[in-house]
Amino acid sequence: MVDSYVYIITALLPLTAAMVVLQGNPYHALIIRGILGAVAALVYAVLGAADVALTEALVGTMLAITLYAVAVRSSLVVRLGVLQAVESQGFQAWVEGCRTVFSKHYMRLELVNYLNDEDLRQALNDKEVHAIYLPQHHTTEAVQDQALIRIPRLYEIMQAELTSPKTTLTCVTVADATEVKV
Amino acid sequence: MTIVLIAMILALAIPIYEACQDEDVWQKMLAFSSIASKTSIMILVISVLRNDWMIGVVGVLILSVGNAALMLMAHIIKRISD
Repeated sequence: MVDSYVYIITALLPLTAAMVVLQGNPYHALIIRGILGAVAALVYAVLGAADVALTEALVGTMLAITLYAVAVRSSLVVRLGVLQAVESQGFQAWVEGCRTVFSKHYMRLELVNYLNDEDLRQALNDKEVHAIYLPQHHTTEAVQDQALIRIPRLYEIMQAELTSPKTTLTCVTVADATEVKV
Repeated sequence: MTIVLIAMILALAIPIYEACQDEDVWQKMLAFSSIASKTSIMILVISVLRNDWMIGVVGVLILSVGNAALMLMAHIIKRISD
């Protein structure tokens, strides 16, 4: 004979699983994954599998969410190469605009400093950074600063949502460094 | 005793609903801590109900380990939001 409350408790498992699947924000999904782990441990314990419940609580809730947090934190980041000397007002505003746009897509912006123009371009070619910001040494107002982006999807997002008349965005393709120099 | 357990399941549904609809990440953490405590207490109640010591030990372990996982995750999320 199966008690009536077992059915209700078991119904909680697909409910929380659906919540994980439908969640868009990766950090919120991480927390709901913890909730799913707690409910799953309860279901396993109610159905008599105490060892499975213990494993679910230890591995599923603790280890899985810790590894998932590390993965989300290290992957959802945009690395922007900049010159160390640049401290202009327009640049700061542009970076703030970028941060706002990226935070809508749950990404973080990380600035990487380089000493000169050549290092900056080399870093883009070596795929050390996803995008670089090139300030123009302009004397007139007509010359625009340039941002080179090597990820097409990133370029689409910035082109569609970033409104900055002073900076032109350009998508560049970087060849894979498959040749081995002898 | 079954009625007590069904009342606990209904109480468990409240933080699940809260975690589902609230947008703030710390509200979700609160809901998670509530659910983690409630589920382990329910495991303890069921172990008493069935007179099963094996499930009881697992309930105690989950109750203590769940808090450690929660503190770990709260720390990571706090560092992300900085």
